[in-house]
Amino acid sequence: MAAKLTSPGWYRALLYTVVGIAFTLGMSAGLRAIFNLDPVYSWQSWVTIALLMTPLFFLAGIGCFDYWWRWARGRKVVDDHADHGAHSWRDYFKVNTDHKVIGIQYICVSFFFMFVGGLMAMLVRAELAQPGRQFVDANTYNGLFSIHATLLIFLFVIPVFAGIANYVLPLMIGAPDMAFPRLNALSFWMLPLAGIMMLLSFLAPGGSFAAGWTAYAPLSVHQPMGATFFTVAVQFAGASSIATALNFLVTIITMRAPGMTFFRMPLLVWANFSTSLLVVIATPFIAASQFMVLLDRALGFNFFNPAGGGDVLMYQHVFWFYSHPAVYIMMLPGFGIISEVLATRARKPIFGYRMMAFSLLAIVVLGFTVWAHHMFVSGMQNWIRIPMMITTAIIAIPTGIKIFSWVATLWRGVLKMDTPMLWAVGFITMFTLGGISGVMLAMVPLDIHVSDTYFIVAHIHYVLFGGSMFTIFAGIYFWFPKMTGRMYNERLGKLHFWLTFVFFNLTFAPMHLIGVQGMPRRVYDYAQEFATWNLIISLSSFVLGLSSLIFLYNMIASWRGGTRAVANPWRSLTIEWQVSSPPPIFNFDAIPSVVGGPYEYGVPGAVHAVFKGAEVPSPVPAGAETSPTPATEH
Amino acid sequence: MEAAAIPAAVAHDDHHHGPPIANRSSKVEPEVLGILLFIISELMLFGAFFAAYFFIRVVAKTDWPPHGALPVEVAATNAVILLSSSLTMHWTDVSAKRGNTYAMRVGIVTTFLLGSTFLFIQINEYLSLGFNPTTNASASIFFGLTGLHGAHVVIGLLLLFMSAVRIFKGKVGPDHHKGLEVPGIYWHFVDAMWIIVFTTIYVL
Repeated sequence: MAAKLTSPGWYRALLYTVVGIAFTLGMSAGLRAIFNLDPVYSWQSWVTIALLMTPLFFLAGIGCFDYWWRWARGRKVVDDHADHGAHSWRDYFKVNTDHKVIGIQYICVSFFFMFVGGLMAMLVRAELAQPGRQFVDANTYNGLFSIHATLLIFLFVIPVFAGIANYVLPLMIGAPDMAFPRLNALSFWMLPLAGIMMLLSFLAPGGSFAAGWTAYAPLSVHQPMGATFFTVAVQFAGASSIATALNFLVTIITMRAPGMTFFRMPLLVWANFSTSLLVVIATPFIAASQFMVLLDRALGFNFFNPAGGGDVLMYQHVFWFYSHPAVYIMMLPGFGIISEVLATRARKPIFGYRMMAFSLLAIVVLGFTVWAHHMFVSGMQNWIRIPMMITTAIIAIPTGIKIFSWVATLWRGVLKMDTPMLWAVGFITMFTLGGISGVMLAMVPLDIHVSDTYFIVAHIHYVLFGGSMFTIFAGIYFWFPKMTGRMYNERLGKLHFWLTFVFFNLTFAPMHLIGVQGMPRRVYDYAQEFATWNLIISLSSFVLGLSSLIFLYNMIASWRGGTRAVANPWRSLTIEWQVSSPPPIFNFDAIPSVVGGPYEYGVPGAVHAVFKGAEVPSPVPAGAETSPTPATEH
Repeated sequence: MEAAAIPAAVAHDDHHHGPPIANRSSKVEPEVLGILLFIISELMLFGAFFAAYFFIRVVAKTDWPPHGALPVEVAATNAVILLSSSLTMHWTDVSAKRGNTYAMRVGIVTTFLLGSTFLFIQINEYLSLGFNPTTNASASIFFGLTGLHGAHVVIGLLLLFMSAVRIFKGKVGPDHHKGLEVPGIYWHFVDAMWIIVFTTIYVL
């Protein structure tokens, strides 16, 4: 037992957590005594400090800092790869430095929070099935939609993309692991803590955090204790995504295989490169905004207190300076996934590869110039409106380049409409619709008319559900054979797609109509005239929710007993498919060499990467009549 | 095309222990690039607080300074202290690369002491300012920005302390100076940041 409590793992994590809770209690009391505050034991002060510090104790206990701690004390550190790779399912519950294990950890944890957040959406729709109060009071309702959005944004969409990229990106660029494997493990372990903190806010006195995921000050400053849970949880989720982004950038820049120039990188790598740039530059802004709210709440600062000379609108500027780029953080990795899926399924080179890469970078740059389009009705200076309207509309150009390039990739391709492809094509249609309503919302007059109505709810769900969520499903089905070594059930996958596609539209399309007619969002009650549409929406949403259970069943059943997957079931060219499924524990025996572009489908003899011992074929121009020796005959 | 894929069994064998050496596709060292990206992130965190400063002082036109005159001389002295610590940090770094153990030890201790002096003076300044963060929004942003910088000094000192421990245990030398170089870069950033904070808060 003593050994269990001193070596990294759950026992020590539990012990350290208890120590952390006791320590923060003492710290709170001690600090209050020093500053002569009455009473010395204040539970609010204790909970705030405990939220900030106990996670660090847990992380130390589970073993995130052991190696660094030895290093910092000048001890001998040996990298024996003891915590690299999973040999049994138990290893997925430990601190592991293998990017493949971390990827799966990320994906499973974020899907757990997806189901919790989705359940909250079901409760929201149940409350809205009829006008008047059904079964939750106004404050609980506010809490439900706030935590729904928070979980799905910070604990699902952002980290699940990080998880997928964690798994496939090092393989794709021919790297044995990420650049900083221990930092990678730390970023993962901060994530469930953030999620649990958000869920715990339901237990806080005064109810959960209920100011919407945007947490506008001064509303969030004056909320009960639940808001502190949100504020601190966002810090941990944000720190996690900054660390991961930094890791991705260093990995992509310094660890590409020989011959893998930037313009030979698969578009998923480009997409994560762009996303990581956004995260590193933008995420500190939400950290700062939440620090300021926390300082206002806990220590009586005046950042958002107009009576003390504070500026309320400043919160929105700082918040949206992160949160608008954040919508691209939640979309660009999906763009990458779609490019991979479409090219292999259409058996054609991706159309306009370089423009696809450049438009990602254009979105990164333009994404920082549009934040105030969320504030057209906030009372900010009127002159900001028009420039923001123009820049917002301009973002449709790089996005449009991508959409048209995908469509051109499909053009005259030999399409294989299996599950990942259905999700990809479904994504193109749904995201285009969401993009069009986005351009509509950029127009100041229309935005003023539909501000805070269900039109906004419809738009955000078309881009985040019809957009991001569809790409996530495409990616999960696409790389499922690689990650698990098993094939998923194609029939169930298609059923999942069609149910989701139909009921997604039945759920969210009518919201455009009731939104234009003026049904306000974020209210548990509504006028009688919207009753019919809301009943239809609620019923559809329940089927939509149930359809995700098909996905869950398919994933679990296929992982346990699906047919064995071959190394390259999709006949893809990128490197992750050239190793076994699942890949060997250290990815490669020797780093492969990259000799061509990643999407040369249909080009005779085209090769993306070769392994040591394999012959490097001489490049053949497209359409050449020669048939070179297959590289396998080495 | 996919014929290029060699069979999975050939791509790896079971007798291999440890990963292959990664290809180095850039001249920049991963650790240095990592800390530079982290510094970009930190710059943006400061940027958000400077945005708050701008909104409170310029847009909302809240009175500045928060209460009476700010002790510019004290802060200027602190700037000199921090800048000289940057010089000793650089000296430590150069000594490590040359393998001069004695200079390395003197350098890191001097740097650490200078940083601690800065922190000591800053805390004393806080105690004798005559206002606190709850006074008004200007006071909040004063403590917000200088406090954020102070927190970075603390982190920087922690990193320097680790470097110092490793130097005194003989773990740093011409071939092993990453553990000194990376905290050093961070320390230079903390010092440079003070110049910006000092200029906006105390001078302008």
